[in-house]
Amino acid sequence: MAERIEVKNDMRRGPRGSGEYVRSSPCFFRLVKRAFWGGMVALALLAVVIPAPLLDPANPGAPPNPAKSAWFLLWTQEVVSHGNGFAWIIVGLSLWFMALPWLGKHRPERAVWFGEGNRAVAWTTIAVFAAIVSMTVLAMFFRGENWSLVSPF
Amino acid sequence: MIKEFAKHLFPRVVLRENLRFTYTFCLGGLAFTALMVLAVSGVLLLFYYQPTPAGAFDSILFLESTVIGGKYLRGLHRLASHGLLVLLFLHILRVVLSGAFRPPRELTWVVGVGLLGLTVFEAYTGYLLPMDQLAFWATRTGMELLATLPGGPWLKAVLVPDGVGEPLSLLRFYALHVVVVPVAVLALSFLHFYRVRKTKGILPYL
Repeated sequence: MAERIEVKNDMRRGPRGSGEYVRSSPCFFRLVKRAFWGGMVALALLAVVIPAPLLDPANPGAPPNPAKSAWFLLWTQEVVSHGNGFAWIIVGLSLWFMALPWLGKHRPERAVWFGEGNRAVAWTTIAVFAAIVSMTVLAMFFRGENWSLVSPF
Repeated sequence: MIKEFAKHLFPRVVLRENLRFTYTFCLGGLAFTALMVLAVSGVLLLFYYQPTPAGAFDSILFLESTVIGGKYLRGLHRLASHGLLVLLFLHILRVVLSGAFRPPRELTWVVGVGLLGLTVFEAYTGYLLPMDQLAFWATRTGMELLATLPGGPWLKAVLVPDGVGEPLSLLRFYALHVVVVPVAVLALSFLHFYRVRKTKGILPYL
């Protein structure tokens, strides 16, 4: 009960006037600590079963076909494989994401998942993320010699 | 002292209903956890790594075959790096879908996007260091990708003045990976946390 704070002042109520406040220490800190240790243990255990690969020493005279970039840049390789000009799409999207807070006049009272006034941005972002993931999978598993489409099976 | 400092990063009180794990999925905190794992494992790797074209690969071989726990340490460092990138992407996705980037959080958002860019660059600079075939060709392909962007050729000349995997380039990647970018990431992380705290922590926003 010591962790609980009875809210009598309307100024300390939630934006919708509902809810009960509790002290960050220990209530919120408990959640933070659990996430911290959970993350640490997950990484420590996964590292046991997923070792880092080490191939032959670097040889500039023996290029693989295709030469693929790091997995987190594979989608950009897929984009520019259709033409260098497509790189501008990546630049444009990056600028759009950076400018998001200044686009539109929507000023929500509080953050809400798929809130009204934010749906266009939310669905556009989902589409972009889905495209990035799809292109990463395509480049990782479905691109063979000379970047031609191949089946991984 | 550390505990007292940490307390100042968080709001004094929070809504009980917001203490659900599914409220934010703790993605930002988990990403910072991965960053700390990277820092600790990276410092330990420094004791064995040689940033020269002739010594880099052999130093990794030595680490993996001779040092107790060396192979695990390298695997942990690599996995934490991948985890950090995935968690950051998911964190940004969550922020956008919940509208938490809206004013008054413009600066928090811009710093966060900058952190994502820096983290991708940090991961990229680390990719070359083992100097195996995967590292070499992935980095070289990345440089060719960079050259397609505006200002890319200039940046490429700065990063790899003597070609990918050559002495000066490897040294630059090493310096960027272990000092320059991590310091920038840490500085921006604390600015990010400060801004989150300044805009009432995770309240009333997600």
